[in-house]
Amino acid sequence: MVIQEFSITQLPLPLTILLLGGLFTPILGSIQKRFRLKRIREFWASIVVALTLYSIYLVNQQLESKQVLVVYLWGQSPPLGGSFEIDALSIFMSGTIAFLGLLVVIYSSKYMEKEGRLTEFYTLVLLMMAGMTGIVMAGDFFTLFVFWELMGLSSYVLVAFLKSRWGPVEAGFKYLLMSATASAFLLLTMSLLYGMAGTLNFAYLASSLRGSADVAWMTITFSMLIIGFGVKSAIVPLHTWLPDAHPEAPSPISALLSGVVIETGLYGLTRLLFILFEPDLFKVTIASLAVVTMSLANIWAILQQDIKRLLAYSSIAQIGYMLIGISTGTTFGVMGTFLHVFNHSIMKGLAFLSAGSIVQKTGTRDIQRLKGVGRRMPYTTFALLVAFLGLGGVPATNGFISKLILFGSAIGAGMPLLTVIGVLNSAFSMAYYLRVIKTLVSKPEKESLDVSEAPIIMVGVTTIMAIIILVTGLFPNILIEMANGASESLIKGLDYYIRALIP
Amino acid sequence: MNESLLFYMVAVVLQFVIGLACLMIKRDMVRLLIGIEILFNAANLSFMGFSLQTSGHIDPFAHSIIMMAIVLDGTVIAVGLAMTLNVYKHYKTINIRKLRRLKW
Repeated sequence: MVIQEFSITQLPLPLTILLLGGLFTPILGSIQKRFRLKRIREFWASIVVALTLYSIYLVNQQLESKQVLVVYLWGQSPPLGGSFEIDALSIFMSGTIAFLGLLVVIYSSKYMEKEGRLTEFYTLVLLMMAGMTGIVMAGDFFTLFVFWELMGLSSYVLVAFLKSRWGPVEAGFKYLLMSATASAFLLLTMSLLYGMAGTLNFAYLASSLRGSADVAWMTITFSMLIIGFGVKSAIVPLHTWLPDAHPEAPSPISALLSGVVIETGLYGLTRLLFILFEPDLFKVTIASLAVVTMSLANIWAILQQDIKRLLAYSSIAQIGYMLIGISTGTTFGVMGTFLHVFNHSIMKGLAFLSAGSIVQKTGTRDIQRLKGVGRRMPYTTFALLVAFLGLGGVPATNGFISKLILFGSAIGAGMPLLTVIGVLNSAFSMAYYLRVIKTLVSKPEKESLDVSEAPIIMVGVTTIMAIIILVTGLFPNILIEMANGASESLIKGLDYYIRALIP
Repeated sequence: MNESLLFYMVAVVLQFVIGLACLMIKRDMVRLLIGIEILFNAANLSFMGFSLQTSGHIDPFAHSIIMMAIVLDGTVIAVGLAMTLNVYKHYKTINIRKLRRLKW
């Protein structure tokens, strides 16, 4: 609970590294052009993300004895000035972001090598990660909004990155239109909160608005929060941009978007809901959204012929599972949600990366035409198989652990129907995962595709991720402990969070 | 509720509804971007209305937020216009109803 001031950087250390890394990438790009060096930008991006991961570890060590670290922006005092508040949940989320980001950057050093405009690509990837890190560390709503827009802008451009084809451009515009509308809703929500409390700082909002009478203004705020964050996190009535945008982006970007960007939206929703409302107020709404999200997304996924589109719908279904944990409002349920956020980031990242290897080699995304590819690309297909089994929740993968906790928490919170629907959906989702696996490993037809195994870097990254899934599925204790700390800091540590700023 | 705040809120709601209607009805992609701009401006106006409520002075906090928000939505619109240009290169039209090549 001690207030920590970083006098040199004015920003949390991981955020500083990512922002500076993003801003220096164009300079390195021009150096590379001038002196005809090779792979300097890829190397730089990997170093920056690895340093970020290390600095998150350093911040975590500072956090050990204290509950919350506070960083004042430009030395202003909190009720009006911006601030960052870092607790165990911020560390957990930013660690997830940097970990997946590291794997994705290493993977894309090979995957994207034939594309042009790589300087822009790495700049945008680093800035997108900076945006996400800023969101999870923000201590007031407006700081969150600024980094929200940074993340949004970079991801719009990254979705439309391959602009020589029509698909990405159309998907990117759709994504921009819906996300920008949601941002406007967020800004209006902020203005209403400002009108009610006179500040946008999370601690002050919590101390003045939490537990207040259930007036109409709070109901309006609640529904607009769901719209504002729900578009980015693809809750079902608001998901329509996702199945277009995620498949059309380059595969490493699909992995980042599905693995962490939509979860960052979910983080924002969770943080704001627990700060502003008692759990009883939003239980039923979130539970019904969870049911709608997972059921409809699974039904849509089974109809897809395009492997990346199928994975995109599967992401929406996984968001539905995560909402179950939030709707319980207990420490155990929220722990399941954030454990699933980490596990899903690894599983869906792996699924998109290995699907990307296959798509790049074969040149098609149609599942029917991928028949027998598994015999030509055994390592990639093995990784994809592990990812699919994990997403379906088969024991011995980490997806099983987090789903077990999520469904168990719904029983504990007195909502057994939610558990039943969740388990049924989970079983139903195996139908489309197994269909893809069956197609990949079945006997190739006569005029089969002439493909070979993916390059060594790509195979290496996917294999490492597959091993992570299996190992954390068999020995989940460390992860569960970390997720537990994160969820306790969100729910039980709210007093610390408030008192870190308000003496 | 203070009377001037009521006028502000009516204006905000009207402007928000106009922006949403613009997003739903218009077909021209540039006009859709203008619709988003209207939505952002409604939110900014709402901030301005609330900043007048503190008795005695006008709260500068809301104004600093409005400044930043204007910059942020300007960048979004810039990216949107760049995408509109790219859409025109591929489709030879900026009618949003023609962007239907991706399946649902």
